[in-house]
Amino acid sequence: MKRKLAGKQGNRPLISGRDSNGYFLPESLAEAVNLLGQAGEGLKVLAGGTDLLVDLYERLIEVEGWLDLGLIPELREIKVRAEQIEIGAMVTHAQLEKSENIKKTLPVLAAAAAEIGSPQIRNRGTIGGNVVTASPAGDLLAPLIAYNAVLELVGKDGVSRVPAGDFFCGPKQTIMKRGQLLSRVLIPRPSSGTIGCWIKIGKRKALVIASISLALVVRLAKGGVIADIRACFGAVAPTPLEIKAVRRLAGGKRLEQLDFSQVGELAAAGIAPIDDLRGTAAYRRNVARELLIQALEKVQSTGGEIIADQADC
Amino acid sequence: MEKVKVRLTVNGNSFCLEVGAKERLLDTLREQLRLTGVKEGCSIGECGACTVILNGEAVNSCLVLTGQLDQSEVVTVEGLAQDGRLEPLQQAFIDHHAVQCGFCTPGMLMSAKALLMKDPHPGREQIKTALEGNLCRCTGYQQIIEAIESLTGPERE
Repeated sequence: MKRKLAGKQGNRPLISGRDSNGYFLPESLAEAVNLLGQAGEGLKVLAGGTDLLVDLYERLIEVEGWLDLGLIPELREIKVRAEQIEIGAMVTHAQLEKSENIKKTLPVLAAAAAEIGSPQIRNRGTIGGNVVTASPAGDLLAPLIAYNAVLELVGKDGVSRVPAGDFFCGPKQTIMKRGQLLSRVLIPRPSSGTIGCWIKIGKRKALVIASISLALVVRLAKGGVIADIRACFGAVAPTPLEIKAVRRLAGGKRLEQLDFSQVGELAAAGIAPIDDLRGTAAYRRNVARELLIQALEKVQSTGGEIIADQADC
Repeated sequence: MEKVKVRLTVNGNSFCLEVGAKERLLDTLREQLRLTGVKEGCSIGECGACTVILNGEAVNSCLVLTGQLDQSEVVTVEGLAQDGRLEPLQQAFIDHHAVQCGFCTPGMLMSAKALLMKDPHPGREQIKTALEGNLCRCTGYQQIIEAIESLTGPERE
């Protein structure tokens, strides 16, 4: 993949009006799937545009036309049902951050949405775009895996549902096939004993790509026994990653029976980080361990108050 | 389909425009409508100099295609002053020396305006959050925050 050349003044892409290309604005999902099925690689599915238009400007993608999902009403809806919460792919980060229903039922997701980019980005960027872009550092991805979200894909062969934990296969790579669209994110409604924590570490306090992030969701059964625990990290591996060993070690125990340092070691050992400009692999292993310890302590001491924390560097 | 037809209200005026399929709102505003108060800084959504208010929300106009905006309403910095009088937010920026080189100012004003439209009495933290997508390379953040605070009245807690 080409990176942008330095010195953009002399290398300005021509984005304005000169290029004449297709622009499709379907008003139903069926119409969108139909259009996508007939089109080639050059037709890009456009949600909020906050990633795609950066890629276009930096000439990382070739665009022959747009399939803009902005006029499909059902994709903008959040529905809270008895069994699950259904979030349309075009729901924005700002909607997630502000929705009382999401804050109440999925606070770790709401906290992550509130820390994405800036208000300008959150007003446009969407949950569907964040998922399909599949950045290892995509802020909503670890929370979605931690909440056992299921992604609904629609194509000409029908609807399929994939657990979020099985959807990502590499940096910016997913199992989605050409011709498929992400329509909804379905999240089982957490039971009343579910508590959690979101922590994002970055080089500055706002508008930052995570150096490392953690979504921890713990479901406590009666008597405080851990019925389920999901520790999911972002930016520590080619995909967002659940440390499944945590589930095996901690399941069936009570929080106070756990040696948090030992659990933290599982995180340090379980991630597959790289050195990049946001931190070294060694840094990420150290921080992964400490974040998990910190998150467990917070969950234990506050009974699950959501914390959205950032490093002061 | 080569050009996209878009009906757009900008600063209270209605337009029926034909735009390219890859034309950004930033380009439409600056080049078709000559609203050059909208500034192009980074072009990738990091600096906020191109911030405008779209349907009541602050957005980066470099990360919006005009084709996405049929029936939308846009306000740029040119839409703040009314009848030749600066809007109080603009006057506050002057009074509090919140303008240095001035390049970030239109974006700062629009982010602040979007906040005040929703919440006339934000606290300092809300003001800082509203401005987190706007960079000032002169680093004059303090004066900008003070200018906005001067309009918000007592903080409600």
